[in-house]
Amino acid sequence: MIESLVSSLGLQWQLEQRTDVSPWRGAAFKILAILLALAISGIAIQVSGLSFPAMLNKVVTSTFGTDYGRQQLGILGTPLILTGMAVIIGQRMRLFNIGVEGQLFMGAWAGALIGLHVDGPILLIMPAMFIAAALAGAIWAYFPTILRIKAGISEILTTLLLNFVARHWVFYWTFGPWRDTFVANLSASERIPYELPTIYGSMHIGIFIALLIPVVLYLALERTVWGYEVSTIGDNPRAGVFAGMPATRQMLIVMLISGAIAGLAGVIEVTGTVHRLSSSISQGYGFLGVMVGILAEGSPIALVPSGLLLAVIFNAGIVLKTQGLSFIAVLALTGLILFLAAIGEVAAKYRRVRVIEDASEDEAREHSTRLVCKPSADGNPERTMERYSDGESYHL
Amino acid sequence: MESIISGILVSAVTSGAVIIIAAIGEILNEQAGVLNLGLEGIMAMGAVTAIIVVNGITPNAYLGLLAASLVGVLMGAIFAFGTVTFKANQVLCGLAYTFLGIGLAGQIGGSVAGQPAMARFEQIRLPFLSTIPGVGDILFNHNILVYFAYLLLPAVSTYILFITRHGINIRAVGENPAAADASGVPVDRIRFFYTSVGGALAGMAGAYLTLGLTPAWTEGVTGGRGWIAIALVIFSGWKPFYVLIGALLFGAITSIGYMAQIHGWSIPSSFLAMLPYLATILLMVVPILVRGGDQHKRLVIGPSASGQPYYRE
Repeated sequence: MIESLVSSLGLQWQLEQRTDVSPWRGAAFKILAILLALAISGIAIQVSGLSFPAMLNKVVTSTFGTDYGRQQLGILGTPLILTGMAVIIGQRMRLFNIGVEGQLFMGAWAGALIGLHVDGPILLIMPAMFIAAALAGAIWAYFPTILRIKAGISEILTTLLLNFVARHWVFYWTFGPWRDTFVANLSASERIPYELPTIYGSMHIGIFIALLIPVVLYLALERTVWGYEVSTIGDNPRAGVFAGMPATRQMLIVMLISGAIAGLAGVIEVTGTVHRLSSSISQGYGFLGVMVGILAEGSPIALVPSGLLLAVIFNAGIVLKTQGLSFIAVLALTGLILFLAAIGEVAAKYRRVRVIEDASEDEAREHSTRLVCKPSADGNPERTMERYSDGESYHL
Repeated sequence: MESIISGILVSAVTSGAVIIIAAIGEILNEQAGVLNLGLEGIMAMGAVTAIIVVNGITPNAYLGLLAASLVGVLMGAIFAFGTVTFKANQVLCGLAYTFLGIGLAGQIGGSVAGQPAMARFEQIRLPFLSTIPGVGDILFNHNILVYFAYLLLPAVSTYILFITRHGINIRAVGENPAAADASGVPVDRIRFFYTSVGGALAGMAGAYLTLGLTPAWTEGVTGGRGWIAIALVIFSGWKPFYVLIGALLFGAITSIGYMAQIHGWSIPSSFLAMLPYLATILLMVVPILVRGGDQHKRLVIGPSASGQPYYRE
């Protein structure tokens, strides 16, 4: 019975890989995915009785038209670029670090630990906070990686579950021992006196760190032996191992770097934006980092525009709170974009061909291919497959 | 002391049921080769749908359940449309679904947030069985979805997966889709169908949350249960009955936290709240310790093609 129900879900076509895909085609499909997601949510908003054009207008004017909006873009972009970087570097090794959120929390906590309890000159304490944060983030990424290497347990699940643990850990400190009792209704620590200098309104120099780290990692990945090993193992783990590359060690290093970057994002939030350890120090930056990484297609350079794009979307959520849209709706929008982008990724690389099961002879001929041998300049015959219908050829 | 222990056990059984329903759905679609990491999102949507139907349309828990499963089927089918028909990356689509489901549920659930459910699943005391001293009240005085989760669902899914010929086809599709395809098994259709079934079960798990366990809707009511269900699939070795053990262990650890709060033990509640997640990670390690043996054997073995899109060559 089930079998017949299953077979009634008829799917009459399948996908065939394109031989050459330009990066522009990939980018175009990403943009298409974003526009489509906006259109779908626009319709949903319109149907539910709110005005989409008015919302769009409000978002654009208050994000780009005001000093505050532009500062906000830089402030939000900073953690998003960093968490995106943390995701991207893991993906170079085919590791999916969804624990960026938790690593960010742990980094923020470790930074706050030093900031709250150690007195000294800012030039000494600030670097100490950053180092502690990077270490804490790396440690939080260490355990899932070890489980993956030693036992083959999916790092996706373990890193994700540790997010909840990290959140509750920070909850404990901000509601308990470190709670600022002076500001009674705030679940945050006391103000931390070590602050990053600001450059434009409340925008701080964290943005430079967020721009610098991708550049450094880009150079490390593209120009060093280490980077070469990482991408070889990432592309084909077996080939890497046969070539004598230390696959598990590189896995561990990559994940530690990923965790450390996430930790830095946390301490930048503490020292630059919030100035306290708060239980809402990250508003899902770690998860949005996955989005940023995907939109950037693993390129540290494309990271910056895609981080800023997410900052715009994120800021829209804040701006639209007054328009009857809850902040969490932005999460739905990013989810929709991600889903469509994942489909677009395939759509860019494949073409749709019909399955010819019960095709007539003519139809079959139209879709079939023939082998063509042509003499080429160097004397060796060049063999290609050519489709009957349109003469498009494939190289063998 | 006895009341504490039986309290822990009762709440272990009830809170484990949510995980079981979602996890068995996930087993079905992973056995067919589709890894759906979006359970959390589908559960959230199921949860909010159920309570909106019950509080807004008609106070009937079964209609709420039905609506939640329909939303689950729809979401499962859309997921399959993306990952099976379009062969999009399953991990990305799963994450996208988590965001989409939680976000959408949060937006449409705003109107019912914090309200108690107008109808909930009533406890059904099984005759004779519930009078067994000691275990009677713990095991046989629950709502219908608990019996569904512990008895019917594992039995039916085990039967389909491991006893019928159709089950061999499902597992072939998840293990080696090319071979299954060559022997005439409709790979994409089976994947499409079971992804929808998995979605339906996740939606039901959500309905059970808001109409049985909690019973109310708040933002973030799912609390990572979808992810825990996926983790327990690994613990179970992709076999429905082993999920029960995992879910009960998970439920017991979770309810130790509740009990501690009720009885005022001096452990910070944040630490207790961490327990389920840490316990789940531990549960994923257990099968490896049990299996022992050499390095190669100790790796977690699941359906080989789970998470892999299938392209006919």
